[in-house]
Amino acid sequence: MRCHGRCGVAVVRVSGPASSMVLRNMTGLTQTLPPPRTALLRRITDPHTKELLDRGLVLWFPGPHSFTGEDSAEFHVHGGPAVITAVLQGLGSLKGVRPAEAGEFTRRAFHAGKLGLTEVEGLGDLIHAETEAQRRQALRQMDGELGHLYQDWSSRLKRCLAHVEAFIDFSEDELIEDGVLNQVDSSVHRLQTEIERHLGDERRGERLRNGVQVVIAGATNAGKSSLLNTLCQRPAAIVSPIPGTTRDVVEASLDIGGFPVLLSDTAGLRDGLDSVEREGVRRARQRVEQADLTLVVVDSTQLPTEPKQAPTFLQGYLSIVLPQPSGGNPEEGREATSDRVLLVLNKSDLVPEAQKERTERELRESLGLPPACFLSCHTTTGLGDFLAVLQSRVKTLCGNPLSGAPSLTQARHRAHLQQSVQALSQYHQYRNHDLALAAEGVRLALTHIGRITGRVGAEEILDIVFRDFCIGK
Amino acid sequence: MLARKLPLILHNLPWSVSSRAGSDLARRHYDVIVVGGGHAGTEAAAAAARVGAETLLITQKIATIGALSCNPSLGGVGKGHLVRELDALDGLCGRAGDWAGVHFSILNRSKGPAVWGPRAQLDRERYRQFIQSELLSTPRLTVLEGSVEELLVSQSNPNEPGHHRVTGICLVNGSQPILSSSVVLTTGTFLSGSLFMGQTTTPGGRIGDAPSCSGLSHTLRETLGLRVGRLKTGTPPRIVKESVELSLVQIQTPDKEPTPFSFLNTHTHCKPEEQLPCYLTHTTPGVERVVRESLHLNCHIQQDSKGPRYCPSIESRVLRFPGRQHQVWLEPEGLTSDLLYPQGLTMTMPPDLQLRLLREIPALHRAEIRTPGYGVHYDFVCPTQLNPSLQVKSTQGLFLAGQINGTTGYEEAAAQGLWAGVNAARAALSLPLLALCRTQSYIGVLIDDLVGRGVTEPYRMFTSRAEFRTSLRPDNADIRLTPRGFEEVGCVSLRRYKEAVRVRDSLQEGLAALKSVTLSSTRWREKLGNISLSESRNGSLNGLDLLQYKDVSFEMLAAIFPEHLSPYLEFSQRLNIEAVYRPHCEKQSREIERVQEEESLSLPPDMDYLSLPTSLSSEVRELLDRVRPNTLGAATRIPGMTPAAIVHLLHYVLRTAQRNQHTGQRVKAACKP
Repeated sequence: MRCHGRCGVAVVRVSGPASSMVLRNMTGLTQTLPPPRTALLRRITDPHTKELLDRGLVLWFPGPHSFTGEDSAEFHVHGGPAVITAVLQGLGSLKGVRPAEAGEFTRRAFHAGKLGLTEVEGLGDLIHAETEAQRRQALRQMDGELGHLYQDWSSRLKRCLAHVEAFIDFSEDELIEDGVLNQVDSSVHRLQTEIERHLGDERRGERLRNGVQVVIAGATNAGKSSLLNTLCQRPAAIVSPIPGTTRDVVEASLDIGGFPVLLSDTAGLRDGLDSVEREGVRRARQRVEQADLTLVVVDSTQLPTEPKQAPTFLQGYLSIVLPQPSGGNPEEGREATSDRVLLVLNKSDLVPEAQKERTERELRESLGLPPACFLSCHTTTGLGDFLAVLQSRVKTLCGNPLSGAPSLTQARHRAHLQQSVQALSQYHQYRNHDLALAAEGVRLALTHIGRITGRVGAEEILDIVFRDFCIGK
Repeated sequence: MLARKLPLILHNLPWSVSSRAGSDLARRHYDVIVVGGGHAGTEAAAAAARVGAETLLITQKIATIGALSCNPSLGGVGKGHLVRELDALDGLCGRAGDWAGVHFSILNRSKGPAVWGPRAQLDRERYRQFIQSELLSTPRLTVLEGSVEELLVSQSNPNEPGHHRVTGICLVNGSQPILSSSVVLTTGTFLSGSLFMGQTTTPGGRIGDAPSCSGLSHTLRETLGLRVGRLKTGTPPRIVKESVELSLVQIQTPDKEPTPFSFLNTHTHCKPEEQLPCYLTHTTPGVERVVRESLHLNCHIQQDSKGPRYCPSIESRVLRFPGRQHQVWLEPEGLTSDLLYPQGLTMTMPPDLQLRLLREIPALHRAEIRTPGYGVHYDFVCPTQLNPSLQVKSTQGLFLAGQINGTTGYEEAAAQGLWAGVNAARAALSLPLLALCRTQSYIGVLIDDLVGRGVTEPYRMFTSRAEFRTSLRPDNADIRLTPRGFEEVGCVSLRRYKEAVRVRDSLQEGLAALKSVTLSSTRWREKLGNISLSESRNGSLNGLDLLQYKDVSFEMLAAIFPEHLSPYLEFSQRLNIEAVYRPHCEKQSREIERVQEEESLSLPPDMDYLSLPTSLSSEVRELLDRVRPNTLGAATRIPGMTPAAIVHLLHYVLRTAQRNQHTGQRVKAACKP
């Protein structure tokens, strides 16, 4: 699969014998394929969760009458990175589908005799431009924490492979301790866990946002929309409101302190506690669950006049607005909450100054509550302080390598990491009765990581073997 | 110092099977001349003759043809793969090993069939006899004793400066040149070789043999302009067996049932019970002390040329990994030999210190040395100057094989020898030259690594070098190579071909039969006893599925379905392996296809990358110009190559190929699955 363009409409192209299967799985066309080379407007859904990803045009090109000469399919979707990423992830979760290597379609087309020489010349330049951009992007990422992480995995895998190879090629003649393999066992296991955790953490982030996803939640009359507008109207913020195409939420992308932020207002929580609109609540909660940061807006005039009761009130409010941590340690859940939530006590201009001050003190002293800011969207009193808190939060989140901006490159990384984890399970499967096949698992895993960090050749593995072991025969 | 030998035609050695004399004596033109009678030279000469070329093998001493200059063993992990492949292409060394082996074992028995390492300790005498008698009974092959003075090449063509063509060789004292269409040089360590022991240095390539003529080295460097590097290696002292305290060593016994190397042999010459043991002992701190105290007397160690990291001298072992015990294997040299070969004790210090060192090891405390260890420095030709056919790119008809290309080891030398011999013969017979793909064989991996990447230290085969190790197993070398060796290469006898085809077809049928026997998992459990089977989707499992379980064997299934499976009992081990490995091989097949597709597109050797009329960046141009990849596949493996550049190259190559369909001799890269 392969994606062209970064504009209004993105074209994701799939080529190869599995294309018809892919088309069926992504569009729910179980019975028939669309007529060849005819655009069809379809809902494009995740093949496993059946979640709607976008509505777009799909086209079916049975081979040999296609660009590559093979069966292929195209998905014309909205050009936002969020949608593209979601579609690529959906595709990547299908068996036998992987991101195309740069220039691979052209090569396939060429081998199938589908391209004239001039076309190849032109496409060569295009690929060049694309890979240049990707290369630069990859370099930027490789400089960061993510890069260090991948490099670290790669070098640990290299070492694992080298030690298994040393055991295979030399242990019969040399003093290679049996303990070597036990070490590899635990290293492989650790790597698997780490990569899996990384994939799990990253998933949410990658799926829907282009930047740190901040969600505004709270009751309708709390002033969520005012907060959105206030934040959007700040001259320093670069704002481009996008009406939601696939979900009934309002989104705006902002630049807060130099960090990309996708701000969305959940309409689903507009009702009270006993509302019948359960579906709306459920979706809003889901949204909150997926957010990096939730701004819980409270109407300050609703706060208890006795400041000592404010913490309890706010706990109750949060437990309604926020999804409950499922099982586990409540302490832990609360800690996680306070990292990911900011309380915005709006309409502060309508609260007496004395009550405001005493409440603030109470809240500072009470444990387990997220930071709270009094703010008036109306008079913009307190906006500066709130923005400072928000900015430091966003900064922390962006510093976290798992909250980086999603991109095609990242979707590719993700696919390689997934394949890497799968390959590592082959190691454990064969460890005790066929070390050659076990080693093949580690080698495959390294090859996949190598597609991100750079190819690892046999010589590098041998270098480690000779560095770590005294091989004398 | 140069021992001058008169050319002597071999015609009455005692074991000569069909000694050939008469008309060949006066022959002054051959299709192929092979220089050198080591592992590369003997395989090259035999292969060239099998392909159909009138071949002359020239060696300094006929008596040393087939001599094992270093360790008395063949095969091992990776190296055993090469022996099996050589045998599949009808080479000599597999059968010679079966004839001469006195201790057979399969290394890595517990680590999976893809990395099994068939190995044998050899009787030196028997090995030499076998090789010599094989060569003498090979039709179209003449053996001549002599020293080559000069390689004859044509004047360089004014239209193609730097390009030559081989015309033959001149012997020392030879009155007339001997002409040939192709020459295969397999001079081993003799190319500007010098021997080191302590502080003395003498010219030569092997102790007891005269040095090769310096003329050859001069021609390669000066006339042909080839880049030459220097490498070193060494050999341990040989110990008198009687002087070893065998009660102080561990005994390592061979396999009870020896497994032959050759696909043609069902058993080895040596009877199972007649096999000899090997012995294991260890170094002591005293050994390290002697090494350190003698460093100032050790020229070899002080030289900075590259030695192998995996076959290091005891000096470099204790210097790199101090304070450890190192293993020393004492290996028999033959059934009647009174010597032991101490594997792991290569050393180059003065002989008196060698003795002192040995005696620091308890079992060797009164050891006697028959011949001391020594080191060798020698020239090698940077192998990136060769095509995958092993022909020198700039010199038509000149082929190089063995240590001259920077490799180490008998098996590595033999593998190149066979392939160089095949192509030397094909060039002489005006047949297209051939390449072996790395997706298909270890020999292909070896040659591709050499000509594609070059060497920085003596190159030895390891299984980890083969990225398609799962498919390239010792058990299936015949199926991988024998049919092609007969149908396309022409180096395989009809008898062997027929056998390989029979085996291939039977395996196919056997696998089909396994697939055809299906039962529900419950029924299988009833029949097989207490075996844990995972439930399958539709409830039924076939024989192939069952063989995925490590406790199930083909024999067990054949007992349940005798009418279907017993015809294939002869192949039960191979069917067990095929069944387990097949899914993994299929997984690799896409990658293999891609590599093969790219390997089949050869890049012209004289391509002017710097002014190629296509949009390539100057970095890429320089990269290509420096490495000069032979194929598009080799180009993709160059670090720093961009996908865009590959597309441009692809385009260029196809366009050029269309234009030049009828002209030029191209290396035909045949990588058919």
